[in-house]
Amino acid sequence: MLRASGQHDGSEYDLSVMTGSDSAGGGVANGVMLLRFAAAVLTNDAGELAAARTDIAATMGGAALTDTAGVAALFNAIDRVADATGIPMEAEKAADTADFRAAIGVDNFAAADEKGAAPD
Amino acid sequence: MSEINDQDLAWPVRDKVTAVQQDAWDRLGRPGTWLTGAERVAIAAEARNAGDCKLCRDRLGALSPGAVTGEHDHLGAVSESEVEQIHHICTDPGRLSRAWFKGLGDCGMAEERYVETVGVIATIFAVDTFTKGLGVAPWPLPEAQPGAPSLARPAAARRQMAWVSTVSPEDAIGTADEDMYANRPRVANIIQAMSLVPDEVRGFFDLVAEQYLTGAQMYDFDNEFRAISHAQIELVAGRVSALNQCVY
Repeated sequence: MLRASGQHDGSEYDLSVMTGSDSAGGGVANGVMLLRFAAAVLTNDAGELAAARTDIAATMGGAALTDTAGVAALFNAIDRVADATGIPMEAEKAADTADFRAAIGVDNFAAADEKGAAPD
Repeated sequence: MSEINDQDLAWPVRDKVTAVQQDAWDRLGRPGTWLTGAERVAIAAEARNAGDCKLCRDRLGALSPGAVTGEHDHLGAVSESEVEQIHHICTDPGRLSRAWFKGLGDCGMAEERYVETVGVIATIFAVDTFTKGLGVAPWPLPEAQPGAPSLARPAAARRQMAWVSTVSPEDAIGTADEDMYANRPRVANIIQAMSLVPDEVRGFFDLVAEQYLTGAQMYDFDNEFRAISHAQIELVAGRVSALNQCVY
């Protein structure tokens, strides 16, 4: 969806930041601090999360912080729905994203070959 | 009822977010389709407890989670196989496997209870990660409400594309569960993932619509609907999913 967003507004985002370091923001406005928050909220490092929270609130505003928290939380949940049910990616979407999924390492995730078809 | 109150936060939370989280919380305590209210609350409590489990920590550090055996640190309110289900999904979702799922079934886990449990876990993560992100203590779990689960399995559910049975959009037409796919421009596979228990689809995707975007908003790049842009939303979503090793 990030690539689709970029195609719409003529921006070329660097999708490798999804699986890379937080030091680059992928060309997205305030990307570095958003990536920092997304990583921190999944850890138990309260100090790092507090710093990430403060950065977003100070730079982007409180509403941006709460919406960022909402998105991060929702995907921390929906990832578990996808992984626990073994739901496969849509064939069309898989074909459209095959190039960058291979390039950024998503195909190397442990569950990459585990989706679809119920076990006997 | 456990009331969710975002009024005292230092940052503004949209009223609709508070409302859907309150609905989700109330639903946690009510009898579901295959689980009683007490079972749903017990699963929610076990999901919160999973992060403190030593066995889960040891498995996370192992090359393969199955290589480490032992007993989970648990609260004692759900069965052994349910503890395994809850803890693995909560602590190491990227390494769930068909073989692991089949093993739960071989131990007697019914897929209907399994799917409803996934829905409870998803609700807990959607709300608890939100409060954690804002530096707020987790909301107290709701009190369990009395009553029996409905035990209503969709007649159209069948094994077709996932580990669990699902209801396809075309098979749902004309059934009592047609509404779970209504008003969606596209019915992505993820929306069908919990369709064996339609109330989990309805409840969880109310959270999706407010904490993320509705289906129509996702593809409406001409307009922005949140205090962060489409690109910023997808950057955060993609990063979280990558860190969770989610391939979907």
